[in-house]
Amino acid sequence: MKVVCRSPWGRWTAFFLFIASGDFFVNMASIWRKLGRRLILFVFMLFLLSVIVFYVARLTPGDPLQSFFGDAMETMSTEQLDAARERLGLTGPIYLQYGHWIAKVFKGDFGLSLRYKKPVSEVVGPLLGNTLILGTTAYALVFIFSIVLAIVCVRYEDRFIDKLICRLGTTAFYIPAFWLGVVLVLLFSVNLRWLPSSGAYGLGKAGDVIDRVKHLIMPLAVMILSHLWYYGYMIRNKLLDEVRRDYVLLARAKGLGKTEVLIKHCFRNVLPTIVSIMAISIPHVLSGTYVAEAVFNYPGIGLLAVNSAKYHDYNLLMVMVLITGAVVILAGMTAQFVNEIIDPRMKELDEVLIKVSD
Amino acid sequence: MEKDDRFEMVGAAYRERKTVIRERGFWSWFKGKPIVATAVFVLILLGCVFAEFIINHDPSQFYLSNMNQAPNKEFYFGTDSMGRDIYSIIWHGGRASLLIGFLSTFILTVVGVIYGCVSGSTDSLGDNIMMRGVELIQSIPTLLMILLIISLMATQNVISISFVIGITAWFALARIVRSEVRQIRNSEYVLASRCMGSSFLYRMRKHLIPNFVSAIMFVVISSVATNIGMESTLSFLGLGLPIEVLSWGSMLALADRALLLNTWWVIVIPGAFLVVTLLCVTQIGHYFRQQTNRRPSNI
Repeated sequence: MKVVCRSPWGRWTAFFLFIASGDFFVNMASIWRKLGRRLILFVFMLFLLSVIVFYVARLTPGDPLQSFFGDAMETMSTEQLDAARERLGLTGPIYLQYGHWIAKVFKGDFGLSLRYKKPVSEVVGPLLGNTLILGTTAYALVFIFSIVLAIVCVRYEDRFIDKLICRLGTTAFYIPAFWLGVVLVLLFSVNLRWLPSSGAYGLGKAGDVIDRVKHLIMPLAVMILSHLWYYGYMIRNKLLDEVRRDYVLLARAKGLGKTEVLIKHCFRNVLPTIVSIMAISIPHVLSGTYVAEAVFNYPGIGLLAVNSAKYHDYNLLMVMVLITGAVVILAGMTAQFVNEIIDPRMKELDEVLIKVSD
Repeated sequence: MEKDDRFEMVGAAYRERKTVIRERGFWSWFKGKPIVATAVFVLILLGCVFAEFIINHDPSQFYLSNMNQAPNKEFYFGTDSMGRDIYSIIWHGGRASLLIGFLSTFILTVVGVIYGCVSGSTDSLGDNIMMRGVELIQSIPTLLMILLIISLMATQNVISISFVIGITAWFALARIVRSEVRQIRNSEYVLASRCMGSSFLYRMRKHLIPNFVSAIMFVVISSVATNIGMESTLSFLGLGLPIEVLSWGSMLALADRALLLNTWWVIVIPGAFLVVTLLCVTQIGHYFRQQTNRRPSNI
């Protein structure tokens, strides 16, 4: 039976009825249950990741004391060395070491950086902001540009402009990012002197926004150019599949313009896929910040990671792996969760993404 | 039949069909194949293999009286800040770069194919565990993972760096192989082979690999390019090969000094060689990409 409510209160009554009937709570409960399952999975994955990382770090040859003390180690007595081992948590069987380590991590103590002889959190903390600025700006710009390019390509499929963008994009993607960076420095800061070649801000200009932006231009250019087409091509392919659907023909037959159909209909349908691609792209873009920061000497965690690897500071790298892993897993789960609530078909997306990315 | 202007053929899929008569000739065989890319790549490859015959200086010699020379008649591509002849190093260093590219691709192919086959062939629980494991490790940026491994190792050589690059790059391949294997694992011929008691390795060699080899060809070939690029990135960052071991990457590790001295040839020429090689390999890889047969667009 169909009930039609015409009174202004009808809609509210229907809403309260819906809540009172329990459907609403059933829905909420299932969402909570799902969320709980995800959370358990998340904690479990982090635990697994930390175990793998810890074991890899401890079982590979090479004495951690060597990287901590360097040449000073040779002048130290056995007692001193033993005391140092005790302090750095290197005594006992490896699972006990892991236990101690993880217990400290829960208290917010990530151990000492072997190179800086300071707690890891103190070393990483101040650099986090710089990387966040560079990373998120690049991330946003990469996706904005790649969506625009993909739409242009699909609108003019198989025409000259599409072929040109495809060719240039592939070329840009395969040019090594570090070389691109060095060439840009050679061109714009060494010879033309337009832009600063390194750092995040000039001497004593930490608060100067324009100066900061100037320092960001080249790292951003490198990151955008080297990531743009990887994602642009994925989105282009998804859109190309989308414009072959029947509803597009219907919309065209009704008299809508090509661009309008493309943006208002096809693009909207591809949007959930783009969200998922954005979630799984985080590690890739992060890799990009590492190279960009190292080339331009931009003080961020990427440069820190590269230098730590040079000085065999694996304690710091271990923490960075864990933090990055946590962020990425969390982002992936959030994207999947949001998409599943919006669109239940997304459960099969995993397979789609594999096909897109190959 | 006369063409009537009042009747125009319309429709989403309308295209005029024309009979094309194929010209059979010597050159038609090359059509659609990446000839230029292959030719350039073969040239570079030959130049590196037979480097001894084309170099005109000792690549590891420091010509201290000729530091930072611009390209001239004696030093074709100039010299770097240590007085080494860039022309000779390029051909010599190409050996290490290409070798690392091929070796690490070999490692990643072997690991990826075996992992993917096992994961695709086991029951759904084992498959789930193996795939979740791959996802877990894929959540770490490749470069960070490589940095962690390198921080645990002593100085690199060609073999060890190929190993590091190969061992951190097989995840995507394993996922593709696994999804291909899942599609063919219930085919009659695979079942028949299992019923006759074939071993897993035999089935993998005879039934699985031949069926998905065309699907992974593109990934494998373009990972040669990616790996060469990765080696040069690592060497540039000072984490890969040391400067004494000649490769395109370790040449570019001198770029910082070249920037101070504004000697463009130290940066641009080896980089151009690197980029041209990468683009050629990619171009060859694209030829093996499976052609998706798309219907005409509705828009």
